[in-house]
Amino acid sequence: MWCLVYMRGVEHHSYFMSGFLDGIRCGDCECNVDWGERRNTIASIAAGVLFFTGWWIIIDAAVKYPEEGDFHHAYHTCGVIATVAFLMINAVSNGQVRGDSYSEGCMGQTGARVWLFIGFMLAFGSLIASMWILFGGFVVPQKHVVYPGIAIFFQNAFIFFGGSLAVMDSVCSCPRFHTLLSILYENMLQWLYSLYINFF
Amino acid sequence: MAGIKALVGLSFSGAIGLTFLLLGCALEQYGVYWPLFVLIFYVLSPIPTFISRRLSDDTESSSNACRELAYFLTTGIVVSAFGLPIVLARVNTIQWGACGLVMTGNAVIFLTILGFFVVFGGGDDFSWEQW
Repeated sequence: MWCLVYMRGVEHHSYFMSGFLDGIRCGDCECNVDWGERRNTIASIAAGVLFFTGWWIIIDAAVKYPEEGDFHHAYHTCGVIATVAFLMINAVSNGQVRGDSYSEGCMGQTGARVWLFIGFMLAFGSLIASMWILFGGFVVPQKHVVYPGIAIFFQNAFIFFGGSLAVMDSVCSCPRFHTLLSILYENMLQWLYSLYINFF
Repeated sequence: MAGIKALVGLSFSGAIGLTFLLLGCALEQYGVYWPLFVLIFYVLSPIPTFISRRLSDDTESSSNACRELAYFLTTGIVVSAFGLPIVLARVNTIQWGACGLVMTGNAVIFLTILGFFVVFGGGDDFSWEQW
């Protein structure tokens, strides 16, 4: 539908877009009370499914290929660090990072931010390490069983996405995130429109 | 209390679930009793929810971190109860037919436990004197 608005010119589409996104935001605000609790329940259940599925995948690979040659045992470290990072991320509540919670915690707001920062760094690092292990340890040397590498990658991917479900939930409901997203969206559309003009 | 019919129905479905589990172990072509380890997961699965309900007495609080942690752990226990037969079957400790029977029994038992919580556990009058 916004394509039609495109033909009419850029200045019209920005009104349409901001109205569209305002509608989305208002809808979220209105039914946030009822839906918020259910959303938290669904997010925690989905996070649990993803996290434990990741661990059962690696248990399956470890049981299927117990020799050191097929599945180097040090590769388990990646999943363990990902689990530690997951626990660190979920230990800090959103209120402590923003500084508006009742209890300060041991370290205060700055400490909570540093803790969350380290947790996310470990999480991203273990995700990257799992890809490195898959390609550097299994694909490039052309081992005859690649399944352990795939299992490590999927374990870390599942733990990462399970762990970030809780944080993504609170990030996506922040109103500043909506503003940022709408600004990015408008810029991207303008850039695409200018590309289209140049092609013409 | 929701009545005696619900209790009888839930105990019947619990018995059916355990029957599936035991069929997966005791049939002649299977014969191994490794799948009985999922009984540990059956026993563990209601415990996080019980603990979170005991620790937080107000049921009208919307977002409770303790309750979400309980849901997370309960989901993990349920996934583990399904994952264990699959892993056992993949290394040919048990056969795939036994794995299928055990997973069916899992589903029935976990639906029974969920039914227990829905019928008997909800509401403000959840107190330990009922037991």
